[in-house]
Amino acid sequence: MNTAETRSRPAKIVSLAELAARIPDGSSVALGGSFLHRGPFALVRELVRAGRTQLEIIKQSPGYDLDLLCRAGVVRRVRAGIVALEGNFGLAPWYRQAIETRAVELEEHACATLTAGLRAAAFGVPFQPIGGVTGSDLAQLNGWAEVVDPYGSGERTYVIPAIRPDVAVVHANEITSSGDARVFGTTHWDRIMTRSARSVLVVAERMVDENEFAARPELTLVPGFLVAAACVVPRGAWPGSCWPDYGVDYASTSDYLDDTGHTLDQHLAAAPEVAR
Amino acid sequence: MTEWTPFSYLVVNLARFIRPYEVTFSGVNSTLPMLACLLAKRAYDFPFTYLNVAGGVDPLPSSVPISSSDPVLAEGSRAIFANEDFYDLCTRGEMDLCFLGAAQIDGRGDTNVSCIGAWQQPKVRLPGGGGGAVMLPTARRSCTWRTEHSTRTLVEVLDFRTAAGGMYGLVTPIAVFSHDGVQLRLSSWHPDVTLEEVRERTGFEVLCHDGAGPTAIPTVAEAEALAVLDPSGRFADDAAVRLR
Repeated sequence: MNTAETRSRPAKIVSLAELAARIPDGSSVALGGSFLHRGPFALVRELVRAGRTQLEIIKQSPGYDLDLLCRAGVVRRVRAGIVALEGNFGLAPWYRQAIETRAVELEEHACATLTAGLRAAAFGVPFQPIGGVTGSDLAQLNGWAEVVDPYGSGERTYVIPAIRPDVAVVHANEITSSGDARVFGTTHWDRIMTRSARSVLVVAERMVDENEFAARPELTLVPGFLVAAACVVPRGAWPGSCWPDYGVDYASTSDYLDDTGHTLDQHLAAAPEVAR
Repeated sequence: MTEWTPFSYLVVNLARFIRPYEVTFSGVNSTLPMLACLLAKRAYDFPFTYLNVAGGVDPLPSSVPISSSDPVLAEGSRAIFANEDFYDLCTRGEMDLCFLGAAQIDGRGDTNVSCIGAWQQPKVRLPGGGGGAVMLPTARRSCTWRTEHSTRTLVEVLDFRTAAGGMYGLVTPIAVFSHDGVQLRLSSWHPDVTLEEVRERTGFEVLCHDGAGPTAIPTVAEAEALAVLDPSGRFADDAAVRLR
């Protein structure tokens, strides 16, 4: 093995195309971030470029990512809590159309019931109790069972079946060459996603020395042994934000939504991972 | 500002639901409650804990973001209290006030954020479940808002019951409702509309609390705080709230 080459390009660090190649057609994919914030959007766009189909998308609060994947015909099924572009952009138009025309199947959750399903998978148990849900039509719609406390309190609780994604993809601020990943600001739902999925992929703004991680190990969100592969894509969360590196690009998000003036191909071509 | 605009009416009356020493949460897709929480911090001389979906705990954001989940809402926060944390806080009964969005609200204060028409064949697919189904029944109190006060938003029968139980307050551009334990009752209404108009524009039967009347105009502190938060009127323009 060539030592210099190993150092310059460690095995875990791959190209964006190679990262996307690890998600085959039909996979169940959990996406990190929330709405326009710190989503693995470069990888999402790469799935479109690769012509991926029949994916199941799992995320409590998707927006641009799910809308783009619906627009490109990549999605078979969605398990989500709330879907919107947010900011001041409102509903996600191509997602909305995909559901209304029944091109895509929806399993509608509350954000916390989806988390409960992920927690069941993370804990290695078949279901997870969740507070609330009482009186919601979602329970019957999804066939969620209500159980009586087996320890005799008389309380009842809904239980959500385990949700085990094939892969979780998160966008991190920093990684090491071993695939350790850390984020700044809120973790959104990334922690539970990376503990519930069978495999974890990371897109990061930059690579830093392992000593920097070792100096503050409590900042690490995902240790490298859990990460199958990672790649570095500066500004990869575009047109969303990646705190504190950059904020939402509202003009580009607006262009994405304006399909009279901007095609999907033009949008994909304007992305930082290709337009650099 | 000595009188209401439809925008100020919504933001200020949402803020008036915030109580001293309580824990209050504002989430995604919630620009008006975000502004209400930030306004309450400036306008009211009592402390309260303001949590938001960006993980902020009593943050001091350097600017007010367009997106109510923007990470700038954690600036100045001394902790990141992320999504799983604030949901768990709520389900264990320690969230005092949640602001939760709704497309339709019925007279019991239950909400629909899922669809217009049948769920399986929706005329309009809406954003969906979000916080409601878990937070509405478990928060001590919840408040919602609508920028449109009409018989299609304040309904007799929901198209789908996404979340039930626990609603305490409702603010629209023309009215403030609060729950009496059984149903939402009118507390006050915009001084530029009549009680009759509120009744005509509401799909469920409007009952009044004792002493209901025109809403008290904004205080100087409330007006000044809103002017600081939205100096250019950008948020007011984005919200595009009209009286009628």
